[in-house]
Amino acid sequence: MSADTRNRSGLAGALRDLPRNVWNSIFRNPVPSNDVERSATTFTNFFLHIHPVKVHPNSLRPIYTMGLGLISFFLFLILVLTGIALMFYYVPATSQAYDRMLDLRGSVAFGTILRNMHRWAAHGMVAVVFLHMCRVFFTGAYKKPREFNWVLGVVLFLVTLLLSFTGYLLPWDQLAFWAITVGAAIAGYAPVVGKEIQFLLMGGNAVGQEALLRFYVLHVAVLPAVMTVLVAVHFWRIRKDGGLSRPPEAEIKPDLEVTRPPAVLDPKRTYGLQGLVRGPLTRVGDLPDNELYSWPHLFRAELFVLVVTVSVILLLSLAFNAPLEEPVNALHPPNPAKAPWYFLGLQEMVSYSAFWGGIGVPGIFVLLLLLTPYLDRNPKGVGKWFAKERLLANTVFLTFVVVNVIFVIIGTFFRGPNWAFVTPW
Amino acid sequence: MTVNLKRSSPGGAQEPGRRSMLGLLTGAGLAGSGLLGVISNLVFIKPRATYGQPQRFTIGKPDDFPTGSRVALQAQKICVVREGDKLAAVSTVCTHLGCTVGLSETGFACPCHGSRFDHDGVVTGGPAPKPLPWYKVTLAPNGEIEVDKDTEVPSGSYLSL
Repeated sequence: MSADTRNRSGLAGALRDLPRNVWNSIFRNPVPSNDVERSATTFTNFFLHIHPVKVHPNSLRPIYTMGLGLISFFLFLILVLTGIALMFYYVPATSQAYDRMLDLRGSVAFGTILRNMHRWAAHGMVAVVFLHMCRVFFTGAYKKPREFNWVLGVVLFLVTLLLSFTGYLLPWDQLAFWAITVGAAIAGYAPVVGKEIQFLLMGGNAVGQEALLRFYVLHVAVLPAVMTVLVAVHFWRIRKDGGLSRPPEAEIKPDLEVTRPPAVLDPKRTYGLQGLVRGPLTRVGDLPDNELYSWPHLFRAELFVLVVTVSVILLLSLAFNAPLEEPVNALHPPNPAKAPWYFLGLQEMVSYSAFWGGIGVPGIFVLLLLLTPYLDRNPKGVGKWFAKERLLANTVFLTFVVVNVIFVIIGTFFRGPNWAFVTPW
Repeated sequence: MTVNLKRSSPGGAQEPGRRSMLGLLTGAGLAGSGLLGVISNLVFIKPRATYGQPQRFTIGKPDDFPTGSRVALQAQKICVVREGDKLAAVSTVCTHLGCTVGLSETGFACPCHGSRFDHDGVVTGGPAPKPLPWYKVTLAPNGEIEVDKDTEVPSGSYLSL
């Protein structure tokens, strides 16, 4: 806006002005130094414009969000980038996949660190997405008008689990083979269509080349595409649902309502777009005096989270190598045959009953999660961790979390050969 | 920008029947095409030909299995049981979630989720819902034992040699 646009004359002048003119044609605004420029930069930059120009201070409280949604997103970015890099050296063939893993470790430049980053970011994403869901629940952030974004979040959690499941099959090691076998067999217990789904997943009657190819396509194309679209809608809904949840501000401005009455328009008059787009939409800008400019407050916080996330994944990947088990032995399952930690709760449940552990109980859990915002309609306690008004809901959810964690711990530490109960000490 | 706030499409007031009919046909056409697309994709991803081992195969002469022995054939995923002049083939694929069970002192044990079976494949513990199936065993004309994994027989059905 305030950039100097006076040009020198002649060819020499054009050349001397070239750097500045190219720069100004890309970035229409200078580095902001006042509030108007801060607004313009956020509003006109493609990558920044999904953010509001101003943001509520509550959204910036680290203790409120813990940045968990953002960390999930950055982990997804790391996974996409390292995953694309790994695709250059991977072949989804039973005869080659395992050798390609050894190549990554032995002969590909940066192969080990890329695979490590991909693995640890994947584990991290499962954990962080789950913690993000816990944060949203314990702060009551799924309440009206954010019900549907919670539903999208539950679906995103499931897609995250599916991505990690299809991913750890690809090395075609012992874990991969027996995980496919067991995972597809669990699908086979689903009522009516179970056997059909199992056949479609495996591409045949036994786990082999067809199954590996199918899981590969799901992992690198189908599921990432679904994830990308759903993440975009998830972010878009945050804005359209009025930004991040926060405590009601009725005390400050009692006339504020999230849902405004529909506009009553005079057909004889002329309206701008903003005049028409009214109703139960965004609250952004309703409280401009209390809010902070996204530039620099929000962007600085996001950059900080990005740097921390990438650093932690890099350090983990330097310190620990991603596991690779023995090559597939279709005749001998490892004993005990254990899934990765985040599926050990499921494996523990499956060891009691295949249908109830693998289909029934998880299905009921997911259904309850999806219906949560429509069942718990108590509008109180939004925007506070463990609000007193939400004691019952929080207790129920905490029980669900604790039971899951206990099952994971039992599966991880207390199960030995033949899935017999052992003590880890 | 002028705004028409009447809830009707411009010029549509005269022929509501024709308009709504066209809308209905368009909707039905789109829904039908979408359904066809979904069905075609399901047909596409269901393989017509599958690759795998034959379900009927020979496993050698009866003499290869000494009396009183239990021999697990890993590739065929069966256990050959020989008792005196009787011989049978028991599946070693766990009826729970498809892992390969190993031979144990009391019968069979699954490493994945802890199912246990006795010597006849009857469930004695763990989550397995069904006993291990027994397969039809016949003596081929050349004197070899032939196993047919497509035909299950009641447990305890031995082939008399």
